[in-house]
Amino acid sequence: MAVRATRLKRVIGAVTAAATVAFVAACGSSGSGDSASGGAVTLEFAQWWGAELPAGELDKIVNDFTTQNPNIKIKLLSAPYASTKQQLVTGAASKTLPDVVGLDGAWVNDFAKQGAITDMSKLMTDASYDPSQLASQIQLDGKTYMIPVVNFVYPLFVNKDLLAKAGVAKTPTTRTEFLDAAKKISALGGNVKGWALPLDTAVPNGIQNDVMSWLWASGGSMLQDGKPALQTPAVKSTVEYVKSLNDAGVIAPGSLTMKEQDKVEKFTNGQVGMMIDSLAHINLIKKNQPNLKFEVAALPAEDGYTGKRGIPYASWGIGISNSTKHKAEAFKFVSYLMSKDTNAKLSTIANGFPGNKTAQPDFGDSDPLFKTAFDIYQQGYPANEFVGLPKSEDLMRSFDEQLQLVLTGKTSVDDALAKAQESWSSVIG
Amino acid sequence: MATMKTRRTLAKAGVLTGLVLGGLFAGLPVLWMLSTSFKNNGEVFQNPPRLLTKGFSLDAYREILGNSTQLRFFLNSYIVAGSVTVLTLLVALLAGFAFSRFTFPLQKTINAVIVSVQAVPPITLVIPYFGLVVALGLYNTYPGLILTHMVFTLPYAIIMITAYLNTLPRELDESVKVDGGTSWTALWRILVPISVPGLIAVGVYTFMISWNEYLFALTLTRTDDMRTVPIGIQLLMGQHSYEWNQMMAMSILGSIPVLVLFLLFQKRFIGGLTAGAVKA
Amino acid sequence: MTSLMASKAAAPVERAAPPKKKTLARRLVPYGYLSPTATLIVVLMVVPIVMVISYSFRDNVIVQDNSVFAGFANYTKVLTDPDFLTAIKNTAVFISVSTAAHLVLGLAFAMMLNTPLLGGVTKAIFRIVYILPWLFTIAVIAVIWRLLLDPSGVVNYVLHTLGLIEQGVNWLGDPNKALWAVTFINIWSGYPFFMISLLAGLQGIPGDLYEAAAVDGTNWLQRFRHVTLPQLRPVIISMAVLDLIWTSQQFALIWMTTGGGPLHVTEMLSTYTYKQAFSEYEFSTASAAAVIVLLLTMILAFFYVRQQRER
Repeated sequence: MAVRATRLKRVIGAVTAAATVAFVAACGSSGSGDSASGGAVTLEFAQWWGAELPAGELDKIVNDFTTQNPNIKIKLLSAPYASTKQQLVTGAASKTLPDVVGLDGAWVNDFAKQGAITDMSKLMTDASYDPSQLASQIQLDGKTYMIPVVNFVYPLFVNKDLLAKAGVAKTPTTRTEFLDAAKKISALGGNVKGWALPLDTAVPNGIQNDVMSWLWASGGSMLQDGKPALQTPAVKSTVEYVKSLNDAGVIAPGSLTMKEQDKVEKFTNGQVGMMIDSLAHINLIKKNQPNLKFEVAALPAEDGYTGKRGIPYASWGIGISNSTKHKAEAFKFVSYLMSKDTNAKLSTIANGFPGNKTAQPDFGDSDPLFKTAFDIYQQGYPANEFVGLPKSEDLMRSFDEQLQLVLTGKTSVDDALAKAQESWSSVIG
Repeated sequence: MATMKTRRTLAKAGVLTGLVLGGLFAGLPVLWMLSTSFKNNGEVFQNPPRLLTKGFSLDAYREILGNSTQLRFFLNSYIVAGSVTVLTLLVALLAGFAFSRFTFPLQKTINAVIVSVQAVPPITLVIPYFGLVVALGLYNTYPGLILTHMVFTLPYAIIMITAYLNTLPRELDESVKVDGGTSWTALWRILVPISVPGLIAVGVYTFMISWNEYLFALTLTRTDDMRTVPIGIQLLMGQHSYEWNQMMAMSILGSIPVLVLFLLFQKRFIGGLTAGAVKA
Repeated sequence: MTSLMASKAAAPVERAAPPKKKTLARRLVPYGYLSPTATLIVVLMVVPIVMVISYSFRDNVIVQDNSVFAGFANYTKVLTDPDFLTAIKNTAVFISVSTAAHLVLGLAFAMMLNTPLLGGVTKAIFRIVYILPWLFTIAVIAVIWRLLLDPSGVVNYVLHTLGLIEQGVNWLGDPNKALWAVTFINIWSGYPFFMISLLAGLQGIPGDLYEAAAVDGTNWLQRFRHVTLPQLRPVIISMAVLDLIWTSQQFALIWMTTGGGPLHVTEMLSTYTYKQAFSEYEFSTASAAAVIVLLLTMILAFFYVRQQRER
């Protein structure tokens, strides 16, 4: 009996051991950043861009790079957009960031402070790269940490059918005209409203794209000498204007928890007449709703404003990890993406504007709306004061929370701005 | 006699009505998921909402089943969830046996610790945990993910198995000891065969937890060949818009294995939880 | 003395080997069975948890390489943060209502599914329908419910057609409704766990107890209160404690539906901690908040373990 028990024990032990070995053997790649085999280097590039581009296009661009540089292979890593920042922070903490990383301008300050991304100015000097061709560089203390590769501007989108139905003759160009048009559209009834304002606090980009854009469109600023200045007449009038839109009942319901994706869906489905949105959505809207007649225009400015209008933008930016062993090769890849022809191609298929000043997007095959948008872009100036600020998501969120209090009537505009100024000052000393 | 029959019919009707109402509560969102998986992306936000739309098509399913990356996600999920289930059952069985059949110092403390480790918010644990996994060389590997999921599922499994074993009379294993056998023998030759229903119950639940886990699956994997179904679904939530129909299709496809498991083991599952649960 | 010798004499064969050696080896046996669990949990859980605790006592962790010891400063900061206190209040409401509703619904459904009045096939079909919420990952549940609860979504459409509400009710975006909406979604996604366990429990109640009660002339309600509930009490308590703990960890559902808003009405301990860590880059305070949550939950855990013993 005892002998049988021991044998059984042995059998079970052996089976478990075998199973464990099988599992270990079945495990996949260990995913170390770069492997060298006879001088060849593999760089890992983490981005969310591939999913937003036509299938296979990013692979093609990347493979062309390897054709030109046979010793350097690029491995594309993708992650869900919503988790990208959190994953980058985690990766930076244990120094396992991929060699090249796709970045949003709002993250740069904090990643640079964390020591996660490397100083690219130095790499540029080392490679004798001429930075004058770059439309912009995101810097901290004079050192470049991110280069915007493709810029997506956020013009005003207008549903022409709804405008016509509401009896609005032309696309609004001033705030008063906009309020008027929004009122008329909302008067159409059903579920239709004039404007959508996504104020979701989880991802508070609405403050940047849909609120501060009004400020910048009239040449205003939320900073002074790099310090927060939220109690100026310009900011106050912006907040009061948004409040007036809310009080007039022209904003689509659900605003306080609406996400950017919801705003686009509602516009596409004709439930919202006007929205401020990324140019990159033109093809998306056309695909999902081919019959929708819409156009893009510059954001309305304060009545009587004749200066240049700021137009908000978001970029696909690129940075290099501080812990990579192949900084020179990584920069080679970055400069490739920023080169005139590649950048032009990438911008065209992404429906954005190139980060290389000399590159001209190809408007030949694309929608005429892009040419319109490009003209608006050139007539105005790119405006996004959140880029490069520390903890910009936190800044947007605290402003969002105050704005929500204003819109629900729980606080006055002055108090809200004072509170927001206080929160911001504690972050940007 | 007539009154009894009427009362019985009324009761039957009442229960059936209740079941149907409850069924609507439970099933409508899932029905909507199914309906969305057949729509064009543009039709998802349509107003007034429709269950069946003009753009009805199986495209979403075709896209997913024809995409090798997505299929790889399914394979990875099977491997991870399956391994987690088997290993968790094994380890929890040993631990449950210890708690049920022995009395030893620190027993209650260890029990409390096992229950409490579930209490730390996973989001704060992510960074130190990740550093640990990298240091152990388990980053972007199956074992890394398997061991992680085991840590999440062990507390529940141990609690349930302990409770279940507690309902089995000690005379059973005592009889083995009288014959000169060890506790190990008692466990494997007597207790395990009787516990199979309970083990299946715990197993199905463990499989479900592992299959649907997202945060650590995302953090501990780097390349597409290691990623699982929940990540695959999230990848369809783009920066600018969601691929609604593919997301829903993938969710439906992802729920089928668990549904099948449940169907297969229903009877034993229900019976199995009985003894463990009542005395738990 | 005599009784001791008598009991020793009555003890079985095991006393054959030298007592001292056998006792030590025998004492270590349970630990042997616990060793895989212990190794796994100590290495993979206790180590990171200790690290989190150490983070909570330092400043500038993770974002900078040289962190500074800060004593209880982080705890003070967290405990005096009005958002944290709001989060505790909301979490308390969220978990108690969710768990209570899970219990009631789970019990109701379990009893309906256990009825002798309907056939096996009918019951099997409904069993499948009732576990459907269990099958989906939380991200999908959050996303589909957002779609359903959209002001121009299906739920409003159906309720409006039935004449129950006005147009365009704002479930997730209205500060007065958001917490209840989110709790409702959580109830929907979590009741199957209770239902299955209670269903199993119901089938384990000996039929003769009911027969005895019927003979005593009790009605359905009395039988429920005096037979069913007491028999199920152990299950109910175990499930309730576990559910309270698990629900307090719920993050993805809140984050993807309301993000803690509007106006912090759905701010939970989980979203608060997430924002501290990944928006404010204050891992120290996030860790302090985590430790506070751990301590609060350990109270529940000890209650559970004590309640286990009493059986």
